[in-house]
Amino acid sequence: MRMMNDPETEMNNGSSKPSDTEIVRRVLQGEINAFESLLLRYQDHVFEVVKKHVPYSEVEETAHDVFVRAYQSLSTFQGRSSFRQWLSAIAVRACYDFWRKRYRNRELPMSSLTEEHPEWLEKVVSNRSGESFDDNYSQKGARELLAWALDRLSAEDRMVLELIYLEGLSGREASDLLGWSVANVKVRSLRARRKLRSLVMGLVEA
Amino acid sequence: MKSIKGDYTKLKELFIRAYHEKEKPEVNELWQRRVMSHIRSLGPVSSRRRYFMLFEESVWRLVPVTCLLIVILVAFLIKLDLIPDYEMAKLFIDDPVESIFLEWFGV
Repeated sequence: MRMMNDPETEMNNGSSKPSDTEIVRRVLQGEINAFESLLLRYQDHVFEVVKKHVPYSEVEETAHDVFVRAYQSLSTFQGRSSFRQWLSAIAVRACYDFWRKRYRNRELPMSSLTEEHPEWLEKVVSNRSGESFDDNYSQKGARELLAWALDRLSAEDRMVLELIYLEGLSGREASDLLGWSVANVKVRSLRARRKLRSLVMGLVEA
Repeated sequence: MKSIKGDYTKLKELFIRAYHEKEKPEVNELWQRRVMSHIRSLGPVSSRRRYFMLFEESVWRLVPVTCLLIVILVAFLIKLDLIPDYEMAKLFIDDPVESIFLEWFGV
């Protein structure tokens, strides 16, 4: 989700394919079916963004929501940024709303830890000899522990942490995607990182 | 403490790897059809909304100017030393005809 020039739009400029702006114009003129071109062009990208932030079982539903939101707010697309970036921001905000709703309603059970997880963590933390673990074992442990820790953060902390700490975006890029101020993103990122660290390290010390 | 710091970096790397290796569901035709059918059911998006949004944006841009004007006016009124009750009383005393007229209305 790195902010960069939109390769698909650039490519379209030299080919017979209509540009994103052209398709948006046609949809706004009432040609609803033209939206399908945007759907086909960006569905993989939206799935790629959404799968990072929401559970596997919720990806399709959230991606569906992203395209519906994009369609409804198509008139606000002014072409200042590429359509891809504009859509990425909608996707990230849809994921944020997903977590806000989930935390409010507690619709789905939170991930929990078994006795194996603190053991796994203990091994990783105390591995001073640089001993390498089985890859699957490492990945499974890390995935489950990360899910457990993220479930214990607020929706805001979770999104900021995922974008900055795990995806490596800058404060400016994350603030563009979330629609928050850069200062807010930076402060929240710092706090969220501290919370994550204390949650994880709390398991080792316990 | 130093060793925990070092190991936390290793843990962070594992977290980042786990985060990026999340499984992605395949996009299928049924999903595409469902999205398009939902969008068609919403009807056409009017570009009139665009003008409304532009209007809304320009209104919000005027907010700082309006706030500044309010602050200037308040400062001006404070400097004038204007007390409404006193001014009203003064008006009635200075102009008895007007006050008789107002008495008809029970003021």
